[in-house]
Amino acid sequence: MMKTLSRTLLPLLLLGALPAGAAPAHDLYLFGAVNITGRVIGSRDVAKNGVYVRTAEGGFTHRGINYPAMLGGAFDPRDARVFHVAAICGVLTTADGGLTWRIGTSWDMTEPKAVAVDPNAPDMVYAALPDGLGVSTDRGHSWSRRENGLPARGKYTQVVTVDRTAAGRVFAGSETGIYLTEDAAQNWRRVFPVVDTVTDIRQSPHDPKHWLAVSQSAGALESRDGGLTWAPIAGITGRRALYSVAFDPTRAGRIAIASWSLGLLTSEDDGATWAFRNEGLPEKHQVWRTAVDPDNGRLYAAIDSGALFGSDDFGRTWQSLGMEDSRIQNLVFVPRARR
Amino acid sequence: MKASQFFRSAPALLLAVTLSAQPSFEGPAPVVTSVPAEDQRLAAYHARVDEVLQWRAGRVDLNDIPGTMDMASISILLTLGRDIEACNERVLQMMAEPGTGPFWMFPAVCVAFTGRELLSPEARASIREAWRTTRQLRGDTENHWVMYYASLYLMSELYPNEPAETWYTGRSSEENLAEAREWLIHWMDTTTTVGQGEFNTTHYIGEYAIPMLFMATWAKDPAMKLRGRMMLDWMFAELATVSLNGVLRGPNARSDEGSVIERWNALASYFSWLLFGNTPPPSGYGGWGLYFAPVAKNYVLPEVIHRIAVERDGDYVQRDRARTRRFWRYSDVLSPPVYKTNYLRHDYAVGSTQGIVNDVIQAHVWDVTWREEDPRGKHPTMFSLHPHSSGRMMQAQFATYPEPMPVGVTFEGKPSYDSPDKVLGGSPYEKVFQDLDTVIALYDIAPGERFEHINGFFSKDLRDVTEDASGWIFARGGNAFLAYRPLAPYHWIPYLHYNGGWATVRDDLGGRVLTSPHLKNGTIVQAAGADEFESFEAFKAAMRALPLEFTLEPVPSVRFTTLRGKNVAFTYGEAPVVDGVPVDYSKWKLFEGPYLNAEVGGRKLTVTHGRLQRVLDFNTLTVKDSVRE
Repeated sequence: MMKTLSRTLLPLLLLGALPAGAAPAHDLYLFGAVNITGRVIGSRDVAKNGVYVRTAEGGFTHRGINYPAMLGGAFDPRDARVFHVAAICGVLTTADGGLTWRIGTSWDMTEPKAVAVDPNAPDMVYAALPDGLGVSTDRGHSWSRRENGLPARGKYTQVVTVDRTAAGRVFAGSETGIYLTEDAAQNWRRVFPVVDTVTDIRQSPHDPKHWLAVSQSAGALESRDGGLTWAPIAGITGRRALYSVAFDPTRAGRIAIASWSLGLLTSEDDGATWAFRNEGLPEKHQVWRTAVDPDNGRLYAAIDSGALFGSDDFGRTWQSLGMEDSRIQNLVFVPRARR
Repeated sequence: MKASQFFRSAPALLLAVTLSAQPSFEGPAPVVTSVPAEDQRLAAYHARVDEVLQWRAGRVDLNDIPGTMDMASISILLTLGRDIEACNERVLQMMAEPGTGPFWMFPAVCVAFTGRELLSPEARASIREAWRTTRQLRGDTENHWVMYYASLYLMSELYPNEPAETWYTGRSSEENLAEAREWLIHWMDTTTTVGQGEFNTTHYIGEYAIPMLFMATWAKDPAMKLRGRMMLDWMFAELATVSLNGVLRGPNARSDEGSVIERWNALASYFSWLLFGNTPPPSGYGGWGLYFAPVAKNYVLPEVIHRIAVERDGDYVQRDRARTRRFWRYSDVLSPPVYKTNYLRHDYAVGSTQGIVNDVIQAHVWDVTWREEDPRGKHPTMFSLHPHSSGRMMQAQFATYPEPMPVGVTFEGKPSYDSPDKVLGGSPYEKVFQDLDTVIALYDIAPGERFEHINGFFSKDLRDVTEDASGWIFARGGNAFLAYRPLAPYHWIPYLHYNGGWATVRDDLGGRVLTSPHLKNGTIVQAAGADEFESFEAFKAAMRALPLEFTLEPVPSVRFTTLRGKNVAFTYGEAPVVDGVPVDYSKWKLFEGPYLNAEVGGRKLTVTHGRLQRVLDFNTLTVKDSVRE
């Protein structure tokens, strides 16, 4: 295992810490697994999986339990030691920064795909489920379904995202469309239909009315009215599935989209034009997730069964950041002020 | 005989051991035609159990404890009361690096309970500590959950009144117990009302039987203990009914590359051998079978089930209902029904499922299999399939993205999934109808699918294979005559075998694959007993004379008069019609046949053989035996 970890962390050390400048204002958490090739339920884990946290030196250190099937995390804005993770067994919650955990969901909620905390009502936690939507009103301790307005079938939900400007305003990306609730999931309505799954929904850090979504077969979608109406983004077809989308918090107009088949696409003019940014990524540039560092604009591309790559020129050149043979499910930047 | 892989498709949590001195595996195949008297029956069962225990215990080398002792051997040594110090030492070693998931959990439960009065306090404490420190994955399939919750239930009962922080779940003993109990009862309710999702599995039967045996043996709650025993009866009654000569026949919700060809070479055969004594056990007693053995003497197979397995009154049809794997997406129903037909005769069996794809990766939908007196190394089966591979179907049944899984799963124990010549897996483009020993399989493959052809398996063990000018392909398998009618042009390719879930190269074991590269396609198979005809030529003549009309456009459609005189009309996507009457699957019972009967929604199974009857009633948690005067 030491050999594996060394291989994982060494490139980071060689690369050095974050770009020169002030200490980062955010911690970076990775949720995922390493050494995933050939892994099945019951395999012995030879590497640490689950939560990784960026170190002061720019590397990543494993935190807490070894858990190979964590899909994403959401932090309590009041205390970053409290966060919730969508994991294969359900939603796990930690109150001590990932050292100990409790499964909040029971057997009737399994394989959540994403979890989100309402920043304006942080006791409220939402979970995207393969068969609907779960809600906790008590910080992840207990869970119930709130699916009024969702279809009886066709509610495979991949992503759930909370509007940071209004408590209880939540979007769910499912197999039949984008659904919106404005009353903390008491009622849902579909605001955009699709025939395959909506895979990611993000709110612009620059304009809270500006939202982007990506999907399996409907391409990339955009809303300029706070998610009430959505329209396809020209130039991004739905011929290949898109897995995640990210705004650059440091510069308005810069957007990145990750695709397992297409690789990484970026736009620097608010989606008017797009470019493939795969040069410097592995030949199999199967990009699972992308994110942009709010401190310095570094663009990340997590390669499926590959490494985590970083680019300080928004995709024109790339450097491996280690984490080989990994599937990083989520990159979350947490303000250090919440520590 | 080719030595088969010891650890089949399951994660390698067990240790490799020398495959030698397995008397029943290496000895002659048993010939069993009747059930002995009760005392002899029990004695023979115990002798088989002891054979397993002694074999595995004999493989332990106390000079190489890490290399020869796994949790199965620890449990067996504890059961035998031997080498306790070595068990203590090995438990401490193994608990320093616990596994994560149900395949680790139930072996750990086996050690915990067999050693609860024998292991040292330190060893027992190390097991308990592992259930605090190591996150256990629940998994994503029915068998995972059965193993997971049975294990969590038993450990929570073993350590009651312990606080949340002492368990990996972050929940107290009572919370764990309540959740596990609730799900186990939910699963039993589902299984006994609308059927099992992983039905008639060649291998996964162990992943159900072992946890249920543990429940039946170690649960403190008498209701849960009884439920465990009743589920064992339920599953073994089904195994008895759809096996011939101890070999599981017909469709399987899930199988693997080995068992679908060498039908005997499955964990199911371990249970047939252990319980019925009518077939050899697989090599290494099937691997996981080693966890059944230490506790096996706590279960007594009901005589009525034993008789079903070995004393057949004649030919019979068993029609049952089950359900598919969960459809997360692309279906109006979470687990749509599957309709099973099994027709068993003395020399062969024909079985199939009708309905939607029950498992996209590992389903085996239909076949004709024939009796081999010694089934070891034989490939006594004939069938066809569409080799389907798609992200969409993966997404339907798994919570995954479209691209990675079709290829990724080939590195995860399912090596053939994305192979064009594969002989395993379900397809949404296959529709099957069966009447007695006639099967019609129709295919209407969408253009642009990854594989635009169908495969038919022709065993190395077929004799006198003849491509007749009539369009039929005739063959003999054991004492069965077989006729296979491709509905579109075809060519032959060699059958290349993946020997196990982790195989990276393929073996040429003999046999061929009939591959037909046409989107609209079909197969008709008719079987008959060799003793029904004066000669093979007479069978051929009879087949040539049967009225057959078919068309492939706009969709495949067949009108055929079967060898049994039934006028069958079957069009892709429509209900089949037999003698002018459409088949209405919605009226099928949960079990219907001479041996097993149950109503949909009934939670009650009636098991019958001759004058003997056992009723398993989950409504009242009662088991009622009766004998007809």
